[in-house]
Amino acid sequence: MDEFAFGVLTNIALFSFLALSAYLLLIAGEMSFGQQAFFGVGAYAAGIGTAMWGWPLPLAAAFAMALGAGAAWLVGLPTIRLRGLYFAMATLAAAEMFRILFELLHYRREIDGDLVGPDGTQGFRGIRWVLERGFEPHEFLALVTAILALVLAGFALVARSRLGARIRMVGEDPELAAVFGVDVARLKLGVVAAAGALAALGGALYAHHNTYIEPRNFDIMLGVHSLAYGLIGGLGTAAGPLLGVLIDIGLLESLRVFQGWRMVVFGGLVAVLLIVRPRGLLDEAVVNRVKRAMSTR
Amino acid sequence: MAADFAQNTLDGVMLGSAYALLALGFTLIFGVLRRANLAYGPAIMLGAYAATWVHLSFRPGLFALALVTIAGATLAGAYVERLCFAPHGRRTLSRDAAAIASMVGSFALWMQLEELATLWLPKHLYTFPPLYDGPPLALGPLTVRVEYLAMLACAAAACFGLHWLLSRTRFGLAVRAVVDQPDAARLAGVNVPRVYLAVFALASALGGLAGYLIVAAHEQVTPMLGMWSTLKGMIAMMLGGLGSLPGAVIGGLALGLLEAHSQWLAGPQYRDLVAYLLLFALLACRPAGLWSLLRGREPATA
Repeated sequence: MDEFAFGVLTNIALFSFLALSAYLLLIAGEMSFGQQAFFGVGAYAAGIGTAMWGWPLPLAAAFAMALGAGAAWLVGLPTIRLRGLYFAMATLAAAEMFRILFELLHYRREIDGDLVGPDGTQGFRGIRWVLERGFEPHEFLALVTAILALVLAGFALVARSRLGARIRMVGEDPELAAVFGVDVARLKLGVVAAAGALAALGGALYAHHNTYIEPRNFDIMLGVHSLAYGLIGGLGTAAGPLLGVLIDIGLLESLRVFQGWRMVVFGGLVAVLLIVRPRGLLDEAVVNRVKRAMSTR
Repeated sequence: MAADFAQNTLDGVMLGSAYALLALGFTLIFGVLRRANLAYGPAIMLGAYAATWVHLSFRPGLFALALVTIAGATLAGAYVERLCFAPHGRRTLSRDAAAIASMVGSFALWMQLEELATLWLPKHLYTFPPLYDGPPLALGPLTVRVEYLAMLACAAAACFGLHWLLSRTRFGLAVRAVVDQPDAARLAGVNVPRVYLAVFALASALGGLAGYLIVAAHEQVTPMLGMWSTLKGMIAMMLGGLGSLPGAVIGGLALGLLEAHSQWLAGPQYRDLVAYLLLFALLACRPAGLWSLLRGREPATA
């Protein structure tokens, strides 16, 4: 495999974090247009950690996740009782505020003779921790994939647990869940914070893969895409959003046949797909059928 | 200082009338279908691109350009309705699931329409003929651009026209019946899918009119137009209160006023920050929007 292929695969893995973050909220019954903000918070925080404060990447990534969870919790606190388009618009507004704050953020210091750090709309270059440690492209891909596999294992564990059942219950019928004694607002806030941390982890890795980030990377387009991934791939399982990313980035961006017409093809394809399968490819019905087939064997 | 304030207020009202026009079409769709059409702006953009192409090829009059923009936006809007809204009926899906499927479908077509437009006319900027070449009108120490006066007049006319259409005509009766009780409306002989399509086409035509006036005032067409129209229309709609026509106008004017003043005081980045901050705060405290504050109504559920 060449470097281009590794790049595409790494991008698929990185955007999967964001897609999973949006998916987590979707199964809890909330549609967020704003997960890109926490992806951005993670990217900036981890970049500042390694490039400016000389932290190792694991520490910087943990810091990024804490910051992402905190930011998401703060956004969730006043908006968690909103539903549908109201919540979507509130998260959109919050995410655009974050993007503008990144544009206003100027914090640079001299490191080895170079000015390093976020420079407003000029972006933040020189996030070279991974590059300087001599990671080969396939090694970094392996690292990102391993972390993603851990996250997926976490999703699988939660899906089988009481917590997972509670989250889906709140997503499907919050009033009924409240009757059954679930503290809906608290559970949703927890989900919001976890989704923020997950997006921030993706962002931290994204910043170190690209070595350069700018506020424009974290605009509304990214947010709506990450939401669409779960809805195309299916909401029945955490593999759904991954499938969505795979279809978009893997199939269309890498196959150069569609050069220039990528979005014409992708857009039409998704619209038609949603007519046939409005809950995505791997929806709840498919997942249940697979589970039943596995258990009867 | 007072003159500056008055001028900014005037500019804000003018800018706000463009937002109000965009929000009216958006609100019409949401009010009737209870679903958001994210491809609303890109349909307008396709209309504006069609008009730009016609202008570059044939140099027709202004009226013809306006008609082409409106026709292009209406056709694109009808296409979105057929592909993303009509198939997701209530019979097979819950209301929430249908709304989400329609919205994601309309986002997919947003991408498609935007790319089609830029494949058609690939440059980053095309000049568009202005509605009026003369100097701005002077009102004492203040100035007003004629294009924006036309926009304000159109927004007011559209608001009253829609109100008349919905409250005084047979078509309006059918629309209101479909909003309240789709099943009962069907039993009473209303062709529900046709009402939805008609509402969509009407809203897109209104968007096309807004788009024409906006590109004629800016004298340019760029690929940003689609996203800009969707975002500004949606923000103005949410600020005013979902699904209310006077709310759309009030939301548009409030957004215009806020942007004009904050831009003058602090520059464009803070202008956008303040606009989003207001939207966020309003959604957190008063989701039913500004119009409900004025009328003292309890928030409606979406």
